[in-house]
Amino acid sequence: MRPVLLKFAATVLTLGATFASAVFVTSHLKNPVAPLQPPVLTGTSALGGAVVVGPSVQPSNQPPITSTYAS
Amino acid sequence: MRPEQAVVAHHFEAMGTACSLFAVGRPQSCLVLGERWVHDLASRLTRFSADSELSRLNTRAGEWVEVSAELEAVLRAAERAYELSSGLVNAAVLPSMLAAGYTRTLNAGATTVMLERARPAPALPEVLRVRPARARIESGAGIDLGGIAKGWMADRLCEVIGPNAVVNLGGDLRAVGAGPQGHGWPVGVAGVTLLLRDQGAATSSVRRRRWGGAHHLIDPRSGLPADTGLEEVSVVAASGFEAEVVAKTALLVGPGVAPAYCASHALAWWLDGRHDA
Repeated sequence: MRPVLLKFAATVLTLGATFASAVFVTSHLKNPVAPLQPPVLTGTSALGGAVVVGPSVQPSNQPPITSTYAS
Repeated sequence: MRPEQAVVAHHFEAMGTACSLFAVGRPQSCLVLGERWVHDLASRLTRFSADSELSRLNTRAGEWVEVSAELEAVLRAAERAYELSSGLVNAAVLPSMLAAGYTRTLNAGATTVMLERARPAPALPEVLRVRPARARIESGAGIDLGGIAKGWMADRLCEVIGPNAVVNLGGDLRAVGAGPQGHGWPVGVAGVTLLLRDQGAATSSVRRRRWGGAHHLIDPRSGLPADTGLEEVSVVAASGFEAEVVAKTALLVGPGVAPAYCASHALAWWLDGRHDA
């Protein structure tokens, strides 16, 4: 008798968890305007084109104090 | 706007290239000490001096050799570069570099190009083993630390000079702190000024260090000087070491893959190459 009760309880628990998960997922829809990471849609990557700058780097009009270059 | 703070600067030549150190709130003597550190470490990590620590490791291939903490750290950085680049940044390309004629500093002139002797580089983990205070290179293999060492050194020196400083070792640079105006250090990348804060930048190119139809950037897959269609890549990343690895990898994967690769590995980037590629 006891194993049958345990199986029944496990089945109820599984079905309950499945139902709760389905409710949770459908009530938290994907945000279609969430930003893409990394920002592959900004800037151009054509050869010799503009520098592509991600959001953690800020462009400036200041003269550079030093530069990266091929050596 | 925060008033601009005075920047101390120090320029010198090391590792066959121009180096610059900048700092806010540090004495000039601190930067001079930084130059000594660069010269000292460069003399131990160069393959162009027979009595350097790296040369001793290369010439004693096949046996365990005691190494300093610094060489051990750079060798581990080389292993990390290999992992990060899926094998494209491979310090074990030394035999191919020698076959390409890069046997001595370019100031002394390259020797004969013998590309028929070039072979694909072995997988780094198969020929380099690093343990605490010792390392071993397998017989027939050789290690060149090149740009990996420069990026690593820029990162380490910047930490020492910091907390508000820039170290530029031949184009491999690292910037820490808020810079003189509090918004980051203004650094030139492919003709554009970017404000870097706790970030690094590097450029990989096949346009410099050329001789007799060859150049210094070896593609480990072929053992030959790289010819992917990309000729120069500049990258901003989280550190100088990382920027060096990403720039070199992007150049080696070529123009078809490099934009997507940089989009997922770099904070800013610029690609240039043969426009017929």
